[in-house]
Amino acid sequence: MIVCVAVVGHQNNPLYIQSFTEADDALKLHHIVHCSLDVIDERVNNPKKSGTTLNEAFLGLLYPTVNYKVYGYLTNTKVKFILVTTDLDVRDTDVRSFFRRFHAAYVDAVSNPFHVPGKKITSRTFAETVRDIVRSYVLN
Amino acid sequence: MANYLAQFQTIKGSCDRLVIAVEDVCDLWPTVKSSFEEHQPLKRALLNNKTRNSVFVESLPVEFILTTDARLRSRFPQEQSLFWFREPYATVVLVTCEDLDEFKNILKPRLKLIVQNDEREWFIVFVSRAHPSNDSATKSVKKVYAKLEVEFSSKKRERCCKLDIHGPEANFWEDLEIKITECIKNTLDRRVQFYEDEIRKLSEQRFMPIWNFCNFFILKESLAFIFEMAHLHEDALREYDELELCYLETINAPGKQREFGGLDNGDDRAALLNPGNKQLTQIVQDDSFREFEFRQYLFACQSKLLFKLNRPFEVASRGYSFVISFAKALTLHENVLPFCMREVWVITACLSLIYATASHHHDGAVAPDIEKEFYRVQGDLYSLSRVKFMRLGYLIGYGADIERSPLNSACLSMLPWPKPAVWPSLPANASSVVLEKEKVILQETSRTKHFGIQRKPLPLEPSVLLRVANRRRASLSAGNLPEMFDGRSSIVDGSGLEASPRKLSPVKLQANAMTRTNSSPGNIDSPLDRPMRLAEIFVAAEHALRHTISDLDLSKSLSSTQDFEKKYLDLTKGAAENYHRSWWKRHGVVLDGEIAAVCFKHGNYDLAAKSYEKVCALYAGEGWQDLLADFLPNLAECQKILSDQAGYLSSCVRLLSLDKSLFTLKERQAFQSEVVSLAHSEMKNPVPLDVSSLITFSGNPGPPLQLCDGDPGTLSVTVWSGFPDDITLDSLSLTLVATNNTDEGGQALKSSAATVLKPGKNAITFALPPQKPGSYVLGVLTGQIGHLRFRSHSFSKGGPVESDDFMSYEKPTRPILKISNPRPLVDLAAAISSAFLINEAQWIGIIVRPIDYSLKGAALHIDTGPGLKIEDSYGIEMERYPDEDYHVKTSKDEANAKGSTVSLEKDCELLNLSSGKIVFPEWASDVNSILWVPVRALGEELARGSSSVNPLKQDVLEGMRTIALKLEFGVCHNQIFERTIAVHFTDPFHVTTRVANKCNDGTLVLQVMLQSLVKANLIVNDAWLDLQDGFVHTGQSDGRPTSNFFPLVVSPGSRAGLLFSICSRKNVSTEGEELQQPDSILNIKYGVDGDRAAGAHRPVDVDRSATDTESLELVFRSAIVLQRPVLDPCLAVGFLPLPSDGLRVGQLITMKWRVERLKDLEGSEAMEHKDEVLYEVNANSDNWMIAGRKRGHVLLSREQGSRIVISILCVPLVAGYVRPPHLGLPNIDESHVSCNPPGPHLVCVLPPVLSSSFCVPIK
Repeated sequence: MIVCVAVVGHQNNPLYIQSFTEADDALKLHHIVHCSLDVIDERVNNPKKSGTTLNEAFLGLLYPTVNYKVYGYLTNTKVKFILVTTDLDVRDTDVRSFFRRFHAAYVDAVSNPFHVPGKKITSRTFAETVRDIVRSYVLN
Repeated sequence: MANYLAQFQTIKGSCDRLVIAVEDVCDLWPTVKSSFEEHQPLKRALLNNKTRNSVFVESLPVEFILTTDARLRSRFPQEQSLFWFREPYATVVLVTCEDLDEFKNILKPRLKLIVQNDEREWFIVFVSRAHPSNDSATKSVKKVYAKLEVEFSSKKRERCCKLDIHGPEANFWEDLEIKITECIKNTLDRRVQFYEDEIRKLSEQRFMPIWNFCNFFILKESLAFIFEMAHLHEDALREYDELELCYLETINAPGKQREFGGLDNGDDRAALLNPGNKQLTQIVQDDSFREFEFRQYLFACQSKLLFKLNRPFEVASRGYSFVISFAKALTLHENVLPFCMREVWVITACLSLIYATASHHHDGAVAPDIEKEFYRVQGDLYSLSRVKFMRLGYLIGYGADIERSPLNSACLSMLPWPKPAVWPSLPANASSVVLEKEKVILQETSRTKHFGIQRKPLPLEPSVLLRVANRRRASLSAGNLPEMFDGRSSIVDGSGLEASPRKLSPVKLQANAMTRTNSSPGNIDSPLDRPMRLAEIFVAAEHALRHTISDLDLSKSLSSTQDFEKKYLDLTKGAAENYHRSWWKRHGVVLDGEIAAVCFKHGNYDLAAKSYEKVCALYAGEGWQDLLADFLPNLAECQKILSDQAGYLSSCVRLLSLDKSLFTLKERQAFQSEVVSLAHSEMKNPVPLDVSSLITFSGNPGPPLQLCDGDPGTLSVTVWSGFPDDITLDSLSLTLVATNNTDEGGQALKSSAATVLKPGKNAITFALPPQKPGSYVLGVLTGQIGHLRFRSHSFSKGGPVESDDFMSYEKPTRPILKISNPRPLVDLAAAISSAFLINEAQWIGIIVRPIDYSLKGAALHIDTGPGLKIEDSYGIEMERYPDEDYHVKTSKDEANAKGSTVSLEKDCELLNLSSGKIVFPEWASDVNSILWVPVRALGEELARGSSSVNPLKQDVLEGMRTIALKLEFGVCHNQIFERTIAVHFTDPFHVTTRVANKCNDGTLVLQVMLQSLVKANLIVNDAWLDLQDGFVHTGQSDGRPTSNFFPLVVSPGSRAGLLFSICSRKNVSTEGEELQQPDSILNIKYGVDGDRAAGAHRPVDVDRSATDTESLELVFRSAIVLQRPVLDPCLAVGFLPLPSDGLRVGQLITMKWRVERLKDLEGSEAMEHKDEVLYEVNANSDNWMIAGRKRGHVLLSREQGSRIVISILCVPLVAGYVRPPHLGLPNIDESHVSCNPPGPHLVCVLPPVLSSSFCVPIK
């Protein structure tokens, strides 16, 4: 189950963060997303280590923890998408396709002329699209 | 083969070095043994690794064993192949011989016998005992050695070397080492080949039923061990890796259900770094090994090799993955393992990995990025063990000591509870412990945060522990939930540990009553029958854990809250420190926050504040406001306790500036009241407070305020307040920063009175003193609340504060104020340049032209110079000045609205001069206007006419008067414009006279010409001549021309003539009483018809009563000189004719005058020197250069008719008709001198002769 998706700006500021848990524990997901920026930073700053992975936007699994998985995606504009899921057997292709759809939704949202780049995404349509994507992903 | 396992392990344990066999043929070993052993380990061994690539082994220890030694004897061949690693890698044959025959007959056959075994790698060391001084012995030894070489060495391989005991031996040891290495290399290759073949054979059978993992393991590990002995650790490691892979495939293969292991005492302590923890024989199961032990064994072997390879980082990183994957395996077998075995194992595994790797790691030994990575993994290990440790702590009831932070919640609430087959049950006689636990639970109160912030605590549990625990108990089915909740609600009520508000029972009150009775000691005798309560669960878990944990340290740290906390802190600190040294700074800082929470709990507020500050800085820096809102109140509380007022205030401000949705209005009001109360209290050290995020400001939208240099103004600024309530600022000031000059600090504008800022947008007006020219942007907003000085650097961009925008500190480029460079703002000029009438009240026009600047309220000081006075009784008229621009404008206006012209008509006003100045009316602020000032120029002198002989010589300065003007304008009359304008005054006419005709009867017709000097029609109404003595009007006329001609209109610039008929009269002088009148006076009565906008006009005072024609008339008087004709000439001066060829410029010429005495001069003019006359030559120096005496006395006899010629040298300077020099006789009255020619005359001067020699052709 996807518990959280987030868009993080190129200065590591949260642009959009939405949790999909029932409990009132969004803060811990904020924490997970925020800490996962460490991993993204590390990969971006040490291209030697990550090797070929930087050639594509999908950063793969960021956190190999026992209980949840964090996936990352880095756009050309250095905006990061972060996905936290509690599913432990996730196929990379699924996550990739998820991020691709999410990226498309994000591009739509920021193409809005009334959106200020670098500011939080407040579009309701974006939120709905994201919810739909997450829901469809759960169904799969 | 599996039977050999035990033996294999023993042998492996006893072997640590490669063995070199020594075949001591001639009993030499005792002699050379020590030196042989001294020269090992081998220093430069070049061996082949598994892929047959050369590997350089720096130090390879070997052991020399005599072939006769028991260790090398009595082995079965099968054993030999199995444990080949302990067989010698080379055989050194030690021989000596000094006699060739002996060699041939005895030694050679024996050696042949020894070396015939092809299996062995051998070489011969020939020891020469011959002393170098003994030549013969040396020679024979040489011969023998040569023979030996011939026999045993081949071209392919050198198998002999010679050791001179008495001689130099340096080369020998090198030679020996090469030979040994070569042997080892060959043997190693062969053996590796053998093992590989064997392993391949075995691998092919892998999927057959007969396949036995133990056999495979022995072979594989033997190979690994061979490599390890040869110091080829990489290859050994690869073997182990392959072995592990193979093993994991085996255990994951479906089919046989194998025992997992881990049930022995002490198994909870991870043995992943200790390969000898358990004998392999103990863990054999059927044809394989138990997973629990064997995987740890394999990892231990790998880590041992990695440490030998000096790669502690790899141990740590492999270890971390191993712990994760092994923990998964433990989860799969959780139902058979002891309670919480997994957690305990992970903790011990992580800690042992941390200690082992840290002790092997040395800073700077590896590349910096590896080092960072190493610390990251260390941090990971620490935090993993920390999570597991917290879980254990929670299970035994230390949950209240665990901070419910986002980090801990993320770690714990997503980590499933342990799933033992049966949840541990309460031990017997535990009632007192349960009671104590319950008391502790009841005493716990959820700490409310500072400022009364109440948040639902974050969960630390994945699901309700009570339900999970009870469901897993054997005696309870999952169905009887109501029963469980009865037991649970008491805890929910008191502890807040089980945060699940949705399930709060509506029958809570009743339940409370029930549980009170339940908690009495009598009722917990048989907990099996009913669901366990939380305290019971804790006690039961603690009891079970005590059985699980064999590690003393761990069990101690779980024994009490204090110990738990200490261990918790250790692990947290360890994780934080390591993360700080790695790339993962965020992880480190967040963990600092956890440390801070513990410090805070123990009253170590200083440390807590420091750590909290770091956390808050991290979150604030990247704009993670939700997280910041969770930590900032904690920081504020620390600062308050530490009475760090500055910090506390800034924290309050930061809290207020966070997104409004993060706190309730009430909480925000609490923040504000803290700020205000602190500001008004006695602060020890008043500190400036940065409120940039809370109070922002911006200029008004639209173009910047434009002011002229030196003008004050008012600047309106919009200030947004982020305070939830109104806030009173005692003062407020704003600095402006010039964009062109950043060095200079901005000038502060002060808002005078106390300002109340409403939440949201406020418009504040500042008085703006005059500024230097340039454009200005907003600088800093400063102000004061009570004793608190605050400042804000933040510019909002025309909208309300967007708190998520942490980039709003950038300077706005839009200037708020523009002060233009000094430029003329107004122009004052005289409207009329033509002359006015002197001695009359005239309107002087002063044009006032504002140049894009309002003259509102301007005051004009008028200071007239000498000879001029303002006729202030008439007032000053001001009217619109219609210049060209104005016409264009008005025509446009008219097109738009016709009514506007009406107002224009009105733009004429009478102003009064008060104390030398006038104040401009409103309408004149922006339009050109003209001021009409009535002035009178005073001229005392009587106008003098001139004769036609002496032409009019006008003195321009004579009629000039000046008016000094000073205009004060601008908002505060700060702008001053000064100008002195010149006005020209003149008489209406210039009078010239000439005698038009001279009749025989002595009547003279005097022509008086009037030239108009003003730009107005002059109407001459009457004119009469008051004659001087010596002249009378002819006839009986009063000297007036015929009145029919009047009025005579003289147009501007034109001339008019009047004729008077006069005659001279000699005898009038007898009337002694009559006043001597030296000059004749021409009186002209005239009127003026002129426009004041053009020049001279009707005088002001006349103007008033325009209907009265009499008063229209002015009188102009001019003196004219009438000269009596020379009636009794005494002397005659005649200008002698000039040469006929004329005068030329530059040509010297003699001018001559003849002076002749006509009669003797009589009368009163007594002359001392009557026989001489004084002469004077006057000439225009522009035209003539005169040489000789210009003035002097010449002798002239007194006799009538005596004459003299005065000549003087002159050079004409200009060509044309010029007046020649004139000879005058100053001592003699003009009336006695007759001149010829009588008046001024002209002579012609020719231009100089052309001189071609000076001509220069010009291109």
